[in-house]
Amino acid sequence: MSMKVLIADDEPLARERLRDLLRDASGVQIVGEAANGREAVEMASETGADTVLLDISMPVVDGLEAARHLATLDPPPAVIFCTAYDEHALAAFEARAIDYLVKPVRAERLLQALQRAAQLSGDNVVALGREIKGEEKRRSHLCARMRGSLRLIPLEEVYYLQAEEKYTIVHHARGEDLIEESLKSLEKEFGDMFLRIHRNCLIAADELMELRRDADGQARAVLRSVDAELEVSRRSLPGLRQRVRGH
Amino acid sequence: MATMQRPREWLPDLCRLPALTAMMVAAEIVVLLLALAPSQEGIWDFPRFYASSLFAQWLALSSALLLCKTRPLLHRLPVWLGALIAWLEPVSMAALGAYLLHEIDTGIGLHMTLPREYQAVFVGGVAALAAVISAAALRYFYVQQQWAEQVQAKADAEVRALQARIRPHFLFNSMNSIASLVRRDPETAERAIEDLADLFRAALGAGQGPASLDEEITLGERYLAIEKLRLGDRLEVEWQRDGDLPLDLQMPRLILQPLLENAIIHGVARLEHGGCIHIGLHVEAGQLLIRIGNPTPRLRGASGNSHAQASIEQRLRHHFGDAARVTIDRRDDYYECTLALPLAAAA
Repeated sequence: MSMKVLIADDEPLARERLRDLLRDASGVQIVGEAANGREAVEMASETGADTVLLDISMPVVDGLEAARHLATLDPPPAVIFCTAYDEHALAAFEARAIDYLVKPVRAERLLQALQRAAQLSGDNVVALGREIKGEEKRRSHLCARMRGSLRLIPLEEVYYLQAEEKYTIVHHARGEDLIEESLKSLEKEFGDMFLRIHRNCLIAADELMELRRDADGQARAVLRSVDAELEVSRRSLPGLRQRVRGH
Repeated sequence: MATMQRPREWLPDLCRLPALTAMMVAAEIVVLLLALAPSQEGIWDFPRFYASSLFAQWLALSSALLLCKTRPLLHRLPVWLGALIAWLEPVSMAALGAYLLHEIDTGIGLHMTLPREYQAVFVGGVAALAAVISAAALRYFYVQQQWAEQVQAKADAEVRALQARIRPHFLFNSMNSIASLVRRDPETAERAIEDLADLFRAALGAGQGPASLDEEITLGERYLAIEKLRLGDRLEVEWQRDGDLPLDLQMPRLILQPLLENAIIHGVARLEHGGCIHIGLHVEAGQLLIRIGNPTPRLRGASGNSHAQASIEQRLRHHFGDAARVTIDRRDDYYECTLALPLAAAA
């Protein structure tokens, strides 16, 4: 059975080099090439890659964050980090990479890393992935699962978050998506970017335009970029009022 | 001409032991000179030498104490006024001391100083001696302090030049690009190696003497050529330069390249589809303006890093004086850094 490898690097020449090296290896099938972290996550889930060669410094979503999102896939792919300089080494291993390669990558080192990835059973990779959660720096994207594939939503494009039982509905520039995280954990990670307006709702801080009362006397928040009037709880109202006046 | 910065602390702290010792030794040397100078009165005897030494030491110590106590005040005044007062302090101390000594001497009849009718001559003579010696001492302190400051400034500039060296990331990324090109496009690989060699030659000589504007521009072009290989279509560069640029202008080495590197690392390389770096070189109102602009990602609550700019500004000021300026214009999704270098000062 051949190994399905995804290459993720923002530099065309770096991708070319990995492609050249992998062509010489047997039992390897290149299933895709991604030019940034978001593409890497989305392509890995679509192609069912079992190993991802992940550059660390990439635009949109960097390699370290991409690895965290990849770890939520079922089964998660084995991640092998590639980087130019080893100051990221520690962080990479904290993110539980299978292996870690420095550029320019040597053919024999690459093969060694792929062997290690092949030997690791799916269960081990899952165990590695599970340990990532929590302690790392906050993400730049949220990760939504859609029919088995992953989709990354940039936080700058998020308008508001609504709790839906254990999950959260993300309302963003390109629609809405359900993510498997609680509103509470999201508030903990991104607290300074969002405002709580209700027990079940967080809005992006720069989205709050005005506060208004509807016919029933219920306070509602009007957002800047989206046509929605969201219910404001009595408890959140004073803080929000102050904020609206301050602007 | 080297820039003359006004020294802030031109008077050393005279209450500290090394300075005090120096003052006492200087006072003793003066007494020794006076004792050895040939005069009608013949060779000094020991009692007179002891008494003179005692008086000189007392003057030196009390002047040091006075200067030490008034030092914070003197440093707050303009340098010329502070220096004048610092000079008058030991002089008046000497005049007062000489007057008291003369009164005591004639009062108890020791006759070690001049006779009573020559009091003004004695007091005036001692004060004049003190005036000459303290003028020389102050001048010495001033020059020494300036020298120390220049040594410090030079050391700082060298450290900053070291900090300006090319990042290791760049080296390894370039090596990776070249490793890839060797198979597919050996000619481009060859050119990349040449560019890389030039860059590192400049980086290794960063602390050693200035470069010309022409050299800086060439180096910037070489750097961008390598980054263009790495980033491909994502990097575009647009140069705008006046026809009459002062290409021979001397400036610190590696000023342009770190700014271009910032424009790539914090700008173009972080954008999914890349962008264009605009470089403008213009002569305007006796200044050379170097302007580097780049698009940046739009991030909520993101703050840029202007450490490199601060270091560059300090190096430019060390070379051109206070007229050199670095200004930064940070907009939502665009970043522009402008260097203004005075042309006259460098002539």
